Amino acid sequence: MINRILDRLEEWLIASFMGLATLVIFFAVVHRYTSGIPWLWQYTRHLSTSWTQELCIYLFIWMAKFGAAYGVRTGIHVGVDVLVRSLTPARQRFFVILSLVSGAFFTATIALLGGKFVHFIYVTGQISPDLEMPMWIIYLAIPLGSSLMCYRFLQVLWHYLKSGELPVHTYGGDIEVAA
Amino acid sequence: MNALIIFVLLVALLLTGMPISIALGMSVLAFLYAFSTIPVEIISQRLFTGLDQFAIMAIPFFILAGAFLTSGGVAARIVNFATTLVGAMRGGLALSAVLSCAFFAALSGSSPATVVAIGSIMIPAMVKQGYPKAFGVGVIATSGGLGILIPPSIVMIIYAVSTNTSVGQLFIAGIVPGVLMAVTLMLVTWLVAKKHNYPTLPQASLREIWQAFRDSIWGLLIVVIVIGGIYGGIFTPTEAAAVSAVYAFVIAVFIYGDLKLRDVPRVLRESANMSAMLLYIITNAILFSFLLTSENIPQQMAQWIVDQGLAPWMFLLFVNVLLFFAGDFMEPSSIILILAPIFLPVAIKLGIDPIHLGIVMTINMELGMITPPVGLNLYVASGLARMGLTEVTLAAAPWILVVTAILLLVTYVPQIALWLPHLMYGIP
Repeated sequence: MINRILDRLEEWLIASFMGLATLVIFFAVVHRYTSGIPWLWQYTRHLSTSWTQELCIYLFIWMAKFGAAYGVRTGIHVGVDVLVRSLTPARQRFFVILSLVSGAFFTATIALLGGKFVHFIYVTGQISPDLEMPMWIIYLAIPLGSSLMCYRFLQVLWHYLKSGELPVHTYGGDIEVAA
Repeated sequence: MNALIIFVLLVALLLTGMPISIALGMSVLAFLYAFSTIPVEIISQRLFTGLDQFAIMAIPFFILAGAFLTSGGVAARIVNFATTLVGAMRGGLALSAVLSCAFFAALSGSSPATVVAIGSIMIPAMVKQGYPKAFGVGVIATSGGLGILIPPSIVMIIYAVSTNTSVGQLFIAGIVPGVLMAVTLMLVTWLVAKKHNYPTLPQASLREIWQAFRDSIWGLLIVVIVIGGIYGGIFTPTEAAAVSAVYAFVIAVFIYGDLKLRDVPRVLRESANMSAMLLYIITNAILFSFLLTSENIPQQMAQWIVDQGLAPWMFLLFVNVLLFFAGDFMEPSSIILILAPIFLPVAIKLGIDPIHLGIVMTINMELGMITPPVGLNLYVASGLARMGLTEVTLAAAPWILVVTAILLLVTYVPQIALWLPHLMYGIP
């Protein structure tokens, strides 16, 4: 149940960050070229290039950190598997487990370091240059995203140990043609 | 010595088959713990500040635009238009496939996306007309490679980001080699078709051509937005990417109506998934190249190569060969991110233009995508046609030779890539 909520939340977050960032930049451009048109201007005059760029970057960084976790679930993070695939199944299994454990270890380390860093920024009270948001909230993407990613690696590992199956990402989603 | 440790570490980790991004991050982590005085804490900050550049954000936008174009009926209309143009020649449908890939490449920044968009329509159509399946798959897999050479190109953006070169100039520099590649691919396709006497299509009337053009014009206008917008100084590349994403959404949903509004969240989610994967590799690769720079490795390697008295052409040959092998095992973005910052200082010392190096690396990546064992395009095309990878590779052989020939030509005749950007940006 909690897992299902987490899954939906993750999907919903990355899709909205993606859409939102696109709209923000689109309207910032529209704004720049419509400043001469009075009836449009009254809606777009609050958009300025500097803070829209900053917002876009932060939205995408958040999207990247949570999307990377989603990517573990969909199996999109590929590696160089040429050598491993030529091994016996038992050895392949060893390397699959090794790479999942490494993923979990790396993301856990980053989550810890990121947490320490957020605390450090929180103490300094930094704010972002254009949006004037507290930087520690923005940097929170690292420990949160990385923890979620670590959790996803452990989930995939657990599933692999139980069933021997890994998530596989196919290009072009569901577009497959039997020619 | 440090350089050796870092690279051995990275290669060893890569060979275990773990995700490339994790291998990059782990080798940095391990090196910092064991051999370096740089505090490990720097990593978490770098993971954030590495992405803090507006230019990188063009990548998710172009991926989103490409996703809307692939799921909307844009590809089908482009195929239609291309077919009316060249369908009547010998092997008409195959020629249309190459031309469609070239058109679609001018809208999309990715090769696999081009293969999926055009291949899912053209492979079945060619098989139905009596072409051998392997031939169709070979044509699509190689022509799909145009996706990263004809601008916009995600691979070029990644090169620009990791070497601090201009995305606009790289895009413009890709045009002439891209057109050259498309024309040569069509020529070879025509020759093969003539030899095997493949079917032709009835000649389309001018009226039909005009009709097909009008149908596809909404999609083709993206070329004007991206190239015209960037070159005309109307947008930055990132803004152009965002505008073309919104534009692609509007034509797919409202003008052509092939994409339902309720499918939009799925398209957003899939693009976010793909973008996040690339951005995650990018962050970790930036971390890795930060480590290299702080150990002064690219400079040392550059000095060492210069001390060997290598001529520029020998260095370029070395680049070609190394990238060919690297391209056989890894996907393009990771290779560019790891190797471009190392090649660049050498190239500058030897007087090679960074824009030229970028185009050479891009075509080299294209070659890597159509040669086994990890030819992403071959893999995607064989998936579309449900064919074995070996058969597909054999089928792609004549076109692989074409791409190799063009690669060597563009590498050793820098003017092919540099002529247009120099003309347009007024560099003597």
